[in-house]
Amino acid sequence: MSIWEEHPLARAFWNNGSAGIPIYDMHGHMGTLNTIYFARAEAAAMVAHLKRIGVKHLTFSHHYALFEPSFRNSRVHEICREFPDILRMYVAINPHYPDHIREDLAQFDAWAPFAVGLKLLPDYHATPACDPKYEYALAFAEERRLPVLCHTWGHSQNNGFPQLMKIVVKYPHITFFIAHCLFGDWEGAARLVHESPGNVYLELTAVPGERDVLENLTAAVGSERLIFGTDLPWFDEYQAVGGVLSAKITENDMRNIFYANVERILGKEW
Amino acid sequence: MRELFFYDAMCAAGMPLHGGNVAATPEALLAEMDYYGIDRALVRHVNLDAAGAVLSNRVLADFLRSDSSGRLRGVWCILPEQCDELPGPDEFFRDMKQNRIGAITLSPFAHRWIPCRETIGKIMDAAAERHIPVLLDAFTGKWNELYNFVRMFPRNITFAMDRSKHGPDRLLRPLLENFENFHYVISCHWVPEGIRDLAERYGAHRLLYGSDYPFFSHGSMMLPLKQSALPEADIARIAGGNLNQLLEEAQL
Repeated sequence: MSIWEEHPLARAFWNNGSAGIPIYDMHGHMGTLNTIYFARAEAAAMVAHLKRIGVKHLTFSHHYALFEPSFRNSRVHEICREFPDILRMYVAINPHYPDHIREDLAQFDAWAPFAVGLKLLPDYHATPACDPKYEYALAFAEERRLPVLCHTWGHSQNNGFPQLMKIVVKYPHITFFIAHCLFGDWEGAARLVHESPGNVYLELTAVPGERDVLENLTAAVGSERLIFGTDLPWFDEYQAVGGVLSAKITENDMRNIFYANVERILGKEW
Repeated sequence: MRELFFYDAMCAAGMPLHGGNVAATPEALLAEMDYYGIDRALVRHVNLDAAGAVLSNRVLADFLRSDSSGRLRGVWCILPEQCDELPGPDEFFRDMKQNRIGAITLSPFAHRWIPCRETIGKIMDAAAERHIPVLLDAFTGKWNELYNFVRMFPRNITFAMDRSKHGPDRLLRPLLENFENFHYVISCHWVPEGIRDLAERYGAHRLLYGSDYPFFSHGSMMLPLKQSALPEADIARIAGGNLNQLLEEAQL
């Protein structure tokens, strides 16, 4: 029998399209982007896609808030309010606009419960993750013990292992979500988990579907340190879920990835 | 599960030059396919670029000879005609049939030649006449070259794919719109609901399930196809019906 017949979770997704479990997608975006065509980049279409498979919350940073400085995080909050049951936001941090950072973080509490944490995009903002330009935002997150989703990529000069290692040690009360698991530098990703003060989780966007990678990461750091993400509207929820289900890991590992780890970090109701 | 017949259009096996976890025998490949519920596969030699066409074609034929299941068919690589390294089209196609080879591929960038009419016009025209599919895996990520090639050989049945994960619609859709014999293998089409979008716009007959094993897991694109919200008949065509029909129509 194939996995789609034999494994209960896989069988449920295969037959029903969802499995009655919550899925927390901890890495999303929204809005058009310069280099790619998205057919479903706006909230309503994305939410419809999320609901088909049973995503409980998508936590996202809006492309416009990341790439167009005049588009402020307050507008993302308004979008979340239109879909309060499912959308949550990361406050996008552009290190080149310190006044925006201060103004937006001053509103963080007013954006509850939608604002969950912060998003850093060091490569695209051409500023290393350990640069002082991020200090105000990271100190804010440290004080409040917030999650920070930081874009990473293996061997990047801005968000590779050395830059990330500095901040995960410097800010031990931040829960760092390492977007893309330092893609390609799997050894570095494992080192980040093992050499940090227990505040690092590897976020899986772009990993499920790659052969053997999820299996190796699970063996290296344990599924308790992995969280699910898709970059939606970049990647299909069914592809990413299918990629996790296709990995040769245990059902308990899959449940950790889909929801249990996030519930341990953020609770069940947030 | 078994209501769907999956025929993998893009899969490579054998012993890679630099090692790695790849099915080196038919038994290992079939075990991997069974784990995910893949019925059949069109198989290239994983070491085709390094070993070259002459040797890798022979090794792939040996690989298939040791398969008693009948679930695997092969893909042979072609070369420029002027150096007489491979037989002419009639003999080459006859050998393909005798060795359970169902399609051809080419690797001009690794094998140092120019993919054009002057180099492979005769065999490509013969393949077009006989409806023999041509895999364009070597053009993955080389969109300019892919456009040029498909323009040069519009009568050939071609299969191409992407491996970038970066939604390729701006690059892909013009090919689907302008070249009716061009087919797209969905192995890395991770675009949300993107399979349905392409099928509704260009027809399910233009899409093929493929795993791109060993780069990706066989299972990666099975669930998004099953849950694509397309009519069941369209899902079945993409999963395996299209490829099965194309291979049956090939006149080897």
